[in-house]
Amino acid sequence: MTSPTEVRTRSAAARAIEARKTYGEGEAAVHALAGVTVDFPEHEFTAIMGPSGSGKSTLMQCVAGLDRLTSGAAFIGDTDISKLNKTELTLLRRDRLGFIFQQYNLIPSLTARENILLPLTLAGTKADQAWFDEIVRTVGLQERLGNLPSQLSGGQQQRVAVARALVPKPDIIFADEPTGALDSRTGTEILSFMRRAVDDTGQTIVMVTHDPHAASYANRVLFLADGQIVDEMDNPTSDRVLDRMKRFEG
Amino acid sequence: MIKLVLSSVRHNLGRYLATLVAIVAGVGFYTAVSVISDGVIDSLEGNIDDQYGNVDVAVVPDEADVVEQTGAQPEPLKVPQAAADQLAALPGVDGSAGILTAPVAFEGSDGKPFATSATGRLWITDADLNPLSVVTGDAPDAAGEVAVDQGLADDEKLKVGAELTLLTLAGPQQVELVGITEFGDSDALDTGGTVSLSEQDAFNWLNSGKQEYESFYLRASGSADDVVAAAGKATPDGFAVESGDEFRDDQREANGSFAQTLKTALQAFAVLALLVGGFVIFNTFSVIVAQRLRELAVLAAIGATPRQLKRSLRLEGLVLGLLGSVLGVVAGYLLTLALQGILALTGNELPGGISFRSANLVSGLFLGTVITVLSVMIPARRAGRTEPIEAMRAAATESADLGRARAVTALVLAALGLLGMLAGSGLATIGAGAVAFVASVFVGAPYLARVGARAARPLLERFGIEGRLAVDNSVRSPKRTATTANALLIGVFLVTLVAVAGASIRDFAIQQVNDVQSADYVVVSQGGTIDPDFVSQLKDVKDVNDVVAFERAPVTIDGAAATVSAGDVAEMAKIANLEVDKGDLADLADGTIAVLDTGDGKAPNVGGTVTVTDSRGKDAELKVVAVLAPTQDTGQTGSILDQASFDSLVGDVAPTIAFVDVASGAQGETKDAIEDLADQRPDITAQEGNALGQLIRTVFDFLIKAVTGLLLMSVLIALIGIVNTMSLSILERRRELGLLRIIGMTDKRVRRMVTLESVLIALLGTLGGMVTGLVVSLLLVLSFNRLSDATITPSIPWVELVAIMVLGVLLGVLAALLPARRSTRMEVLDAISAG
Repeated sequence: MTSPTEVRTRSAAARAIEARKTYGEGEAAVHALAGVTVDFPEHEFTAIMGPSGSGKSTLMQCVAGLDRLTSGAAFIGDTDISKLNKTELTLLRRDRLGFIFQQYNLIPSLTARENILLPLTLAGTKADQAWFDEIVRTVGLQERLGNLPSQLSGGQQQRVAVARALVPKPDIIFADEPTGALDSRTGTEILSFMRRAVDDTGQTIVMVTHDPHAASYANRVLFLADGQIVDEMDNPTSDRVLDRMKRFEG
Repeated sequence: MIKLVLSSVRHNLGRYLATLVAIVAGVGFYTAVSVISDGVIDSLEGNIDDQYGNVDVAVVPDEADVVEQTGAQPEPLKVPQAAADQLAALPGVDGSAGILTAPVAFEGSDGKPFATSATGRLWITDADLNPLSVVTGDAPDAAGEVAVDQGLADDEKLKVGAELTLLTLAGPQQVELVGITEFGDSDALDTGGTVSLSEQDAFNWLNSGKQEYESFYLRASGSADDVVAAAGKATPDGFAVESGDEFRDDQREANGSFAQTLKTALQAFAVLALLVGGFVIFNTFSVIVAQRLRELAVLAAIGATPRQLKRSLRLEGLVLGLLGSVLGVVAGYLLTLALQGILALTGNELPGGISFRSANLVSGLFLGTVITVLSVMIPARRAGRTEPIEAMRAAATESADLGRARAVTALVLAALGLLGMLAGSGLATIGAGAVAFVASVFVGAPYLARVGARAARPLLERFGIEGRLAVDNSVRSPKRTATTANALLIGVFLVTLVAVAGASIRDFAIQQVNDVQSADYVVVSQGGTIDPDFVSQLKDVKDVNDVVAFERAPVTIDGAAATVSAGDVAEMAKIANLEVDKGDLADLADGTIAVLDTGDGKAPNVGGTVTVTDSRGKDAELKVVAVLAPTQDTGQTGSILDQASFDSLVGDVAPTIAFVDVASGAQGETKDAIEDLADQRPDITAQEGNALGQLIRTVFDFLIKAVTGLLLMSVLIALIGIVNTMSLSILERRRELGLLRIIGMTDKRVRRMVTLESVLIALLGTLGGMVTGLVVSLLLVLSFNRLSDATITPSIPWVELVAIMVLGVLLGVLAALLPARRSTRMEVLDAISAG
C-alpha cells in the first residue's frame, strides 16, 4: 500500500521519500520504516500517531537528523540531510530546527533564560529582544527567567523548552510526546502555545504523540502502523482520532 | 571471596597497576634509604665497639673532640711515660695500653714508595685492649720487627719474613715482617693500612724517641668507676678521663655527627615516601569503590554482608600490598645500585657500600603491606556501607550542599595548624600544626573547589558556553571535584614542599658545606718541615695555583691545649676558609691574636685578652682582635698569631704545614702529582679538603631528585583519578550531553567542554597543592629558624613552580583525552533515550 502523496498548496518544510530504516539483517531484520514518503508542509502543525513500534518516533528522528535512514532520503527544506556529515547535521539542527522532548529538556546548571537562549548562544548570535519578550510573555515565564530548572515545576520546565524551540524562529520544530509527562491541564496549556505559534507566527511543527487529545491540536494527523503510513486525517478532533485508533487495535 | 578478589583485580587491571606502582615506589625508596643510611652511618661512625670495646677508662687529650671534628692533627699533647706508668699501676687496673701513631710508608726495591698513607702504630701487648689480632706469624715484639694488616699484605704481596725498608719520620729503617694482622671483620684498622711496631721502634720512629702516648686506655678488673676516679688524680693537665662508654660515645659522635643529621634527613624522606604511597593507594581504592558501587550493591542485594564486602577489599589490599612490597624491596636495592653507579661516575664512592641486611628487607615488606592495608581501610568501610538500593540508582547524585560542620571543622583545623606552626615550641607541635593545616585543606577542599571554580568562571567563559558549562558542572558536585583534585593536590603539595623546603634546606646545607669548605689540599709534615724546595715542587705541579706554607705550634691558651699558627694571613685567607665570626683578621699586629672558637662557649670576645703558653712554659698576654669560626681549615691553623708575636713566643721555626689551591676542575692527575710528591717524604701527608662535603652534596642532590621523581609519579597517578572522575561524570550526564548535541553543540565543542572541566580540576588541584605547599614550607622554615640558631633563607624555586603549573594544565588536557572521546562516542539518540 502506498501513502497519499496529495499535492498541497504549501511547499514542504521537511519531507521523507521512500524512507526505510531497518535494524538487523536477513530473517531477523526489523523494518522500523518500510518505505515512507511524506511531506510536512510549512506553517502547519502535523501530528504523527500510531501504536508502539509503529515507527512514528523513528520517522521523526530520521527527518530531524537525529538518526540516519537505511535507504531513501530525508529533506529539511531543500537540504538532503542524508548527505550531511555529523557536524553539518549538528549545525543544521542548531540553526534551522527546534526540539521539544517529553522530559530532560533542559541543562540543569543553566537558568530558564539561559536555557531558552542556549541555541542562539551556541550559534553565537543574539536574540531579537522584542521577540524573546513576546514569547516569554506568551508562555508566562516573565517571573521565572532567573530560576534554575530544579526550581521550576514540570509544566514550567516544559514551557521553557517550548520557548527555547520558538525563540530562534526555526524552520521546523520537532516535538516528541511533549505532554507525555504532564498532567492534562498543563499539557493543554503547552499544546495551546504550540497551536498559537502556528496560527500567529506561521511556525511549522511536527509532533509525535499517542494522545488523541494532543493530536486534536494539529492541522493534520498521520497514522503509522508497521513502518508505513496507513491513514491521515485533516482537522482532527479527539473523538475522530480516538475512533480511528480503535480501528487499529481492533 | 578470593575468587571474587582475583576476578576484580583482573577486571580493573589498569587501576591496580597504578596502585602497584605507588606501593613499589614507596617501598623501594624506603628500602634504598635504609640501605644507604646504614652504610653511611657505619662508615662514618666506624666500628667503635670493635675498636674500643674493652676500654674501661680512657685518658685522652681534652681537645680530642675538636681535633676529631675538624679533621686536623695539630700535634696534640701527649701522655708522658711517667704518667702512663702511674695510671697503669692504679689499684683495680688489669691492663693498659698506650696509643701512639704516626704516618709511615714502605720503600720498594725499585726505590718507589708504597703504602704511602699507612699508619704506624705502637703494638699493644694487652690482647684485650688491642683491636688487632695476629692471623699469620707473630706480634712485633723486638726491635726491627713489624706486622702489617691483611689488606696491605694482600695488595703488596708481602710475606712473613720479608725484609723491608720502612720510611719513617726518623728516616728509612730496615725491618723484618714478622706477622699479618686483622681488625675484626675487616683487614685494616686504618684506611691506608696499619703497620704495627714494637715499643722501642714506635717511640724512636714515630715520636722522635720520646716515650709518650697520644692517649692511654685502661682495663679495670673490678668497678670501672673506681678506676675513673683514681685516674682523674693521676692524669696530667690537658687530659681528660672518660669512662669506656663516654669514650666510645665521644668517638661515635665525633665521627658520626654528620651521619646523624644525614640519618634523620634520610629517614624523613623515607617516611614521606611511604606516606605518599599510602595517599595514592587510598585514592585509587576510593575511586575503585566509587566505580564499583553498582557491582558492590548487586553483591549486597544478593546477600553479601557488609563484613564480606569489607573483607573482599581488604584482601585486595593485602594481595597488592604484599606483591608491591616484594617488588619494592627489589626496586630499592636496584635504586641503591643505581646510586652507587651514579656516584662512581662522579668519581665518588658510596660510603660503607651496600649491605644486604635482612632487617631492611623485612621492614620494607612489613611496612609496605601494612600501609597498603591501612590505606584500604576507609574505602573498605565505604564499600561495606553500600546499600542494595544503590544498584538501582542510575548514579549516586551528590548534593551540592556541604553542610556547616565541614566549614567549621576546616576553619578550626586551619587555625590550629597555623597556630601550631607559628607558635609551636617543639618539632612535635610544629609537625602537628603542619598536618592539621594540610588536613584543613582536605576537609575544606569542596569549598575551595567551589570558590576556585567560580573564580575561574570569567576566564573559562571566554571559551564560550562550553567553558561556562564546564565551570557549572564542577561546581555542581563540589565534593567529587574536590576529591579528584585532592589526589593531585597531595602530589603537588609534596612536590612543592620538597622543592621549596628542599631548596631552602639544600641552600642551607650548601652554606654549611661551605663552612666545611676548605683549601683544596693541606700538606702537613709530621716531624719534618715544609721547606721552600717542597713548596716550589708543589707549585710546579700542573693546575696548582698557589701554595701557602705557615708555621704552627702546640700551646695552651688560658690553660687549655690549643694550636697557634702564623704566616701570611692574607694569602692564607685567599685560598683557605678562615671564617671570621667577630673582629677582623686585618687587625692582627704584634701582641694580638685571632682566637679559634672551638664551640665550647669559652671563646673570649674581641677586645679581651688571653694568655698563651708555649710548650716550654713561656707565656705572653695577647689581645684578641678576631674570633675564628671552626672550619676544616681553622681546625688546621688553630688560633692565628701575628708573626712577631709568634716568633717571640715560639721562636723562629720552619713552616710545617701548607694550604694548596688548585684550579677548579683540575683533573685526577693533579691529585696524583701532589700525592706522589707527598709520598716521597714519609713525614708529609697530603689531605684532600672537603671530600666528605662534596659527597654529601651528591647524595643529597640525588635524594631530592629521587623524591621529586617519586612524587611526580604520584602526580601521574592522580591523573588516573581525573580520568576516572571525568568518565563517571560523563556517564552520569549522558542525557544532558545528548541534549546539548541535539540542539546544536558540535562534538568538537562537547569534547572541549570535557577538556576544560578536566583542566579546571587539574588546575584547582595544582594551585591548591602549590599554595598549601608554599605556606607550609615557608612556615616550617620560619619555625625551624625560630627554634634553632640556623638561619635558613626560604628560597622559592619559581621556575620549578611555573613548570609544575604548566604540568598541571597538561595533565588536565591529557586526563581529558579518553573521557572526551567517550563523551561523543554515544549516538545522540541513545544518549537521550538511555535508561
